[in-house]
Amino acid sequence: MKLFVTGIGIVSAIGLNVEENFHSLKLSTTGISRSAGYDLMLGEVNLSNDAIIKKYDLPEEDFSRTSLLGLVAAKEAWGEHKIDTQNRTGLISATTVGGLDRMEKYYFRAQQDASFNYLPHMTHDNGQTTERIAKVLGIKGYIGTISTACSSGANAILQGARFIEGGKLDRVIVGGTDPLSLFNIKGFSSLMIYDQNLCKPFDASRNGLNLGEGAAFLVLENEYSISITGSNPLCLLSGWNNSTDAFHQTASSADGKGATLAMTKALAKAKIPAQDISYINAHGTGTENNDLSESVALINVFGNHIPPFSSTKGFTGHTLGAAGAIEAVFCVLAILSDSVLPNLNFSSPIKTTRLIPETTFRSCTNVEHVLSNSFGFGGNCTSLIFSKA
Amino acid sequence: MYITASSTISHQPTFRNKGFSSELIELPQSSDVFHPDYASFIPTVNRRRMSDVLKMAITCTTDCIEQTGRKQPGAIIVGTSMGCNTFTKKFLDKINASKGGLLSPTSFTLSPHNTIAGQISLLLGNHNYNMTHTQNSLSFEQALIDAIMCIKDGCNTVLVGAADEHEGGLYSMDARLNSNDIHHTFGASFFIISTTKPNTPPSIKLIEVGSFGLMIDPIQSINDFLNSNELSVKDIDLVLYSNSHQNTLLELSKFFKETKLFDIQKISGTYFTNSAFAMHFGVDVLLQKEHAFFGQNIKRVLICNNLISENLGLIFLEK
Repeated sequence: MKLFVTGIGIVSAIGLNVEENFHSLKLSTTGISRSAGYDLMLGEVNLSNDAIIKKYDLPEEDFSRTSLLGLVAAKEAWGEHKIDTQNRTGLISATTVGGLDRMEKYYFRAQQDASFNYLPHMTHDNGQTTERIAKVLGIKGYIGTISTACSSGANAILQGARFIEGGKLDRVIVGGTDPLSLFNIKGFSSLMIYDQNLCKPFDASRNGLNLGEGAAFLVLENEYSISITGSNPLCLLSGWNNSTDAFHQTASSADGKGATLAMTKALAKAKIPAQDISYINAHGTGTENNDLSESVALINVFGNHIPPFSSTKGFTGHTLGAAGAIEAVFCVLAILSDSVLPNLNFSSPIKTTRLIPETTFRSCTNVEHVLSNSFGFGGNCTSLIFSKA
Repeated sequence: MYITASSTISHQPTFRNKGFSSELIELPQSSDVFHPDYASFIPTVNRRRMSDVLKMAITCTTDCIEQTGRKQPGAIIVGTSMGCNTFTKKFLDKINASKGGLLSPTSFTLSPHNTIAGQISLLLGNHNYNMTHTQNSLSFEQALIDAIMCIKDGCNTVLVGAADEHEGGLYSMDARLNSNDIHHTFGASFFIISTTKPNTPPSIKLIEVGSFGLMIDPIQSINDFLNSNELSVKDIDLVLYSNSHQNTLLELSKFFKETKLFDIQKISGTYFTNSAFAMHFGVDVLLQKEHAFFGQNIKRVLICNNLISENLGLIFLEK
């Protein structure tokens, strides 16, 4: 059974739509800069909540930025799609922040001002941030939210694939969305894995990540749905797997067990040999631990023939629950343009593994199959494979 | 597929208490969790840092694994509406108190929604599929739907469950449900779903699960669900329901004219994943020959979760 990707939408620090994102990737223009508010390097989306509310003529409700960023990307991916009772349609989103951007704001305000009755505002659970996106798109029925830390976005895509393959849905819009939150900024600072300068994924001198925000969604359809919608397939989602490292709550194992399993099983699911992968969009956060563990896993799976690979987190920052979806859109763009994407800020390889990522935007003769990795706290490892339609 | 193990820690004496469904009384106005002695389930080093919800989930897991004797499930799937919210609050309080100083990362690292599923994988050394669904009142139903898909994909056993804890400072269920008459409780329930029929009868089958978001008419959705399973209203012997609207209850009793209806919230209290409590309750009813409350011949149970008025979860069990 073929699973078609027929729509993509994205909002990130390097652009407010697919075209702008692709343009920045092509020119190697990062979206990360020193944020005046936090005095930290952040990949902020250049679009205010008010601007989004105005753009889509949304009701004057208390929207979480999670819903708002998600809406921008979901609307772009959804495009001209219409609700049709014959075509079973669902929405599966991913987030780690959910309504926390609002919760933390009200909670802190209440600490300062005892008279502020904040509890009536505290109604944004993860699921509700997704329901708000569904309401605007007009989707009813299966509306789900995945939260598996930094692999959430990839897992929402994986869920959508399984729903279509399992015959439960014909069309599903899948992706992830996460705004910046003080909670996560302070959290990653407390772990001492925050690079004070631009992050350097896979570099020997890497010393941490930069946080970012954003959202991305993809429309997945089966052949039946396409026969109704007439959508033009962009590419196929051909393989997926989720496996667990079972090593530590926050750190990846030295032997890259979970990542190795996820990549190996995704390849088996896609029924393609490892050497047929044209490009890998790595998780590559820029932390000492992730990049080494992921490099070991890449060697475990691909041996001496590592395909061209890069981490695009130097462009967007680590967008947590949105990362897997944002990078999935980048993979679709790599296939559509027959190119491999650059890894910014790299100068010298990690001594033990010696892997050298792609450092420039480069056209290739044929980008046939692309692998995308996403790993999260709890040892959660997901790999997705996209293929030419 | 069969439900071969069930374990619940809740505001009722449900843990390792077979037949609990015929002994339970309505929850009093104020109640607390019946905590088992966690020391016999979780090593001290790990236990010290854990919040209630983690201790409860891990203890239920251990109980389920002991019930079936199967050490490694093919998948671990958790539904939780608010995850480890007490750690989220703890870390926010630390941020607030630190005034920009150094923070200990522990409560941050344990705050993600998937900490429960992740800690279970660590405890078991399990490298398989590991997923966390967080769709408020439908979180457990979505975890179950995922579990059914795993079984259909070729998994023999799946550990699936739900866990939530009540952290009143960061979320208001009252505001979400538009009610100030909620008996807030919390709990954890875990199950093993297996393709292998249990050795000792009766065996309980998990037939189908539905998750309907942003729906308008719950009765229409229930009707569609029954039709797609080739069932009629008369085939259901017992409905365990949770809802927050009197109107829905009226409609339910009109629709299920000859079926016993039972308000599970009176027993479980209210939390977003109490349909997992209801599933264990349903299993416990089905396991008995003659039930003290519901009598003989209870063969089919429908769990009807309409806690949030526009969201409906349905779980169908059969003896």
